[in-house]
Amino acid sequence: MEMHDRKPLLETRDLSVAFGDKTVLHGVSLQLRPDEVLGIVGETGAGKSVLARALIDLLPGKGRISGGTVQIGGHELRQMSAGELRQLRGGGVALIGTDAKSLLDPVRPVGEQVADVLRAHKGLSAGAAHDAAVSLFAKVGIVDPEKRAQAYPHQLSGGMAQRVIIAMALIAEPRVILADDATLGLDATIQVQVLDLLVTRCREAGMGAIIITHDLGIVARYCDRVAIMREGRIVEEGATAGFLNHPATAYGAELLASARARPAPMVRSGRAQQPAKAPALLEVVNLVKHFPTSSGHVVKAVDDVSFAVPRGETLALVGESGSGKTTVGQCLVRLLGSDSGRVQFDERDILTLPDRDFRPLRRNIQMVFQEPYVALNPRWTVARLIAEPLALDPTMSSRTARKARVLEMLDLVRLPARLAETYPHALTAGEQKRVGMARALATRPDFVVFDEPTTALDIRVRAQIIDLVRELQREMHLATLFITHDLNSVRSLAHNVAVMRHGKIVETGETERIFANPQHDYTRMLLGAELPIERYAA
Amino acid sequence: MSQIRNFITFILSRPGAAFGLALLLLQVVAIVFAPLLATHAPTEADPLASLQPPSGAHWLGTDVSGMDIYSRIIYATRVNLLISIVAVAVAFVIGVPVGLVVGYYRGWASTFVMRVFDFIQSFPVFVLGMALVSVMGQEIWNVAIVLAVLFVPIFARLIRAEALSLRDRPFIAAARCSGATDGQIMFRHILPNALTPAIVQISISIGMAILLTAGLSFIGAGVRMPLPEWGLMVSVGSQQMILGVWWVALFPGLAIVFSVLSFALMADALRDYVDPRRERA
Amino acid sequence: MTFSTTWRRLPRTLRIVLTRLPMVVPQMLGVIFVTFMLVRLLPGDPALLMLGNMATPESIANLREQLGLDGSPWQQFVHYLGGVLQGDLGVSLFTSNPVAVDLMERAPATLELIFYAMILTILIAVAIAVLAVVRPGGIADYISRFYGMAAGAIPDFWVGLLLIFFLFSTLGIAAAPFGRIDPMIAAPPTVTGFYTFDAVIAGDFAALRSAAGRLLLPVLTLTIVNAGALMKMTKTTFAEIWRADFIRHQRASGLSQSRIVRNALRNSLPPIITLIGFLVGFLLGAAVLVETIFSWGGLGQYAVQAVTYSDYPALQGFVLVAAVFILVVYLIVDILYELADPRIQV
Repeated sequence: MEMHDRKPLLETRDLSVAFGDKTVLHGVSLQLRPDEVLGIVGETGAGKSVLARALIDLLPGKGRISGGTVQIGGHELRQMSAGELRQLRGGGVALIGTDAKSLLDPVRPVGEQVADVLRAHKGLSAGAAHDAAVSLFAKVGIVDPEKRAQAYPHQLSGGMAQRVIIAMALIAEPRVILADDATLGLDATIQVQVLDLLVTRCREAGMGAIIITHDLGIVARYCDRVAIMREGRIVEEGATAGFLNHPATAYGAELLASARARPAPMVRSGRAQQPAKAPALLEVVNLVKHFPTSSGHVVKAVDDVSFAVPRGETLALVGESGSGKTTVGQCLVRLLGSDSGRVQFDERDILTLPDRDFRPLRRNIQMVFQEPYVALNPRWTVARLIAEPLALDPTMSSRTARKARVLEMLDLVRLPARLAETYPHALTAGEQKRVGMARALATRPDFVVFDEPTTALDIRVRAQIIDLVRELQREMHLATLFITHDLNSVRSLAHNVAVMRHGKIVETGETERIFANPQHDYTRMLLGAELPIERYAA
Repeated sequence: MSQIRNFITFILSRPGAAFGLALLLLQVVAIVFAPLLATHAPTEADPLASLQPPSGAHWLGTDVSGMDIYSRIIYATRVNLLISIVAVAVAFVIGVPVGLVVGYYRGWASTFVMRVFDFIQSFPVFVLGMALVSVMGQEIWNVAIVLAVLFVPIFARLIRAEALSLRDRPFIAAARCSGATDGQIMFRHILPNALTPAIVQISISIGMAILLTAGLSFIGAGVRMPLPEWGLMVSVGSQQMILGVWWVALFPGLAIVFSVLSFALMADALRDYVDPRRERA
Repeated sequence: MTFSTTWRRLPRTLRIVLTRLPMVVPQMLGVIFVTFMLVRLLPGDPALLMLGNMATPESIANLREQLGLDGSPWQQFVHYLGGVLQGDLGVSLFTSNPVAVDLMERAPATLELIFYAMILTILIAVAIAVLAVVRPGGIADYISRFYGMAAGAIPDFWVGLLLIFFLFSTLGIAAAPFGRIDPMIAAPPTVTGFYTFDAVIAGDFAALRSAAGRLLLPVLTLTIVNAGALMKMTKTTFAEIWRADFIRHQRASGLSQSRIVRNALRNSLPPIITLIGFLVGFLLGAAVLVETIFSWGGLGQYAVQAVTYSDYPALQGFVLVAAVFILVVYLIVDILYELADPRIQV
């Protein structure tokens, strides 16, 4: 193997960044050596993205480097001229961001855009640059590269768009790749493909890569070294293996602990007492929901789905985007009309009820929505939001009774009572999720649908929410349907699992059995794309 | 009430907005205290004093009939603002609920209403206004009615756009899950969130209405003599401009500029005030 | 071959035009209906109003027949519609010419005015808007803030008068505000109807100089106010795109500033096209006022004359033509918009 020059590709010493008067990065010192993958992990607000932008001197708005040095390939960043900086970006250090489609120019074919980047760094003709782009497309695994190069961004899938962005980053042959949360929002299987591709290419070309993420599983699998950031500082740094087995700081240990699956699988509640033939609380039979598209053909979002949820138990409905799991949830609470099938709730078919008759049943069937902030009316106080469903309960007609229930619910989800009079924008993401739960549970329903309860949450907040949900399941004997793609959370939250793909259920069974012994190929693929910490750590 | 106090403090902290507020207050004073502020009666014609330049007797000069320009400008504030505010208020009261209902329910009725509005808006505003007033007769109220008709689609469209985008937000779905009825969703959930751009638009529309009224009166399709109205006053002075008589058309025009400016500045201040990206102290 | 496969094989441009065209017919009918209704809004007998109290019963009956006022409302509409489709818009009460002839004579004057005003407005507005966004804190930025605010508050008729006063009466730089060309100079032979184009075609440079000189003030008047409005809206649109993720990413990938500006402009094209459509509408309305001040002899002045003399057939004809013109403009704008944005499915 060729001996690369061991001088660091990129080095920061005591780097500080400020926005106006406020310092957001304090004395960050990092090194990236050739052929190395460095992971930077932190929660929201740790300053990871700010660091990425500081490395190419593209801080937004009033941001500026207030202290320290950044050396790229031995050259001091702050002494570079405008022209040198431009060459650096994309030519020396290439940035890959989140949500690939939004990073592409919507009105131009993607092949041209990648060719443009090449021409901006090396003076090639349009034809030569185009050919280079197409051949790179092939190398990053884009099928039919010539044709794809003529496509517009909106015609590509998420994974395909991310490959285009990677091609855009690689084409000018930089020394360093900065991947800032590059796989956020992608399905697990796609995520693994994209990261595999990225890291392989990097190692082949002897480049260095910095992967910024808040997913410790990614770090464990792909990174040689890891740096933990918190509130603008690096609190811990070292080889990944070392960190996973013996974290040096308390914070690092906390993160690691939160990333593990929660202990002990669920114990079935009172299974022994229930007679085996008791009817399930919720039974879905042959549910069908189709969506006609503008081009004429029909999308079969839910294609003959059947499952049952017994009282007090939890079923996890897992699948990737497009599997139809979210649509199932929406049909159950009648936010969408279904095309055919039966849903028996407490032995009544709720799909055929007229709206007026279904409304009182909403007391017992509730939903916790996915994105915390947008599920709360920004102009209503927390108390008003939680109290809204109480109008469905005739016993809750007095104001004092409602106030008491609201406080009870806040306590149940472990939120301080003083938050009752605040507005959603003043809450953190975790607090907003809890308010959503408090609202769903306000009428003490028998059945709750949780739509993606753990997505887009920081490491520790996610662990807290999972713990909270376990407590709620225990205390309230809820029958629950979990809709999620986070397999990790399923282990500790669900009794049973149903795997969905393209609108159909491909496999169901008890959680332990599915994880230990998956039968269907697709289930095996899903499990393979999971990146549990336990696989890599002690 | 504290909202209003906060807003005033916000305005005072920005010179542009403060200037606009000052102009606005000036107009309110002119409306309320017109008889005290004016030096002559607004329709008092004195043919002997025709086309006098600004002097001690007539602060801003006189027009061709000898009427005092300064006093007419003061009294015209009432006419211009009254027409504009009434027109916009009516348009708001009709347009907002229509926009709300049309944006929430998607059916052929909604599409039909929107087509009608599209239609009204496809005529050049000024041309349509001119034709309508000419046909209905040049009374103050007709001008206000015509303006209101022209502005209803603007408010309806604005609220409809907000309702359409809010309608699919998760918090509306959550409200439905919590048992809210259609009416409750429209008026308690969507409306409070959709009102903000409409309120900013009120200020903008009042400014537009003042310009339109002045323009219509200028070509003789608005208010009639001898009513004091800024556009009409400019038209009276237009023939004399070439002859070097500048004051008859200049001062009323300045009044228009400052009046519309005050509403535009207020609209900008409102827009910045409710911008969620602003850091709240 | 099913319909949808045949459809998809047509070039995108053709598909866009074909989708839009059918909408035009009902819209045209609607416009004609509204103008028809306009006169019906008059209280009392329109014929009596038009001829005055002294008119004899015969002349009233004649006028009623001419205007098609007898018969049921439906019959009246059909009568009117038939007339319009044949090019008969009635006879002007003031000029005694057929309205259609009057309008055709005056249309080129208005079109020439709007044409030059549009070009100048777009150039100034887009240039200032783009510069203001790309160089924040620079001169263009400051100019744009004051200009955008002020231009929206200034009445165009007042600006015209001020320009006349300063540039003509006081300084004597500009030409007299009395029509499109110096009365001493003969207008060039009509080819397009635009004096400037026709003068170039005929090689008549005296006429060209005079026509251009006379165009200066009215075009400036229209531009000063409307460029402000267009600039403000363009600035908002362009700024949104300038802040977009993909523009930031292009910067992070090392593209040059000029390239990035070009890409941003290309993305702003669809909304700017829509804004230009609105601009034409504003200009048409503003032309009414401006033509009056400058004795331009175009459609606008004709319309004001119709209002002053209660010449309802002329007014009706003008409204109809104005509305149809705007309809056509919006149609073209819609087609161009869909052409410019590849995301739109046809």
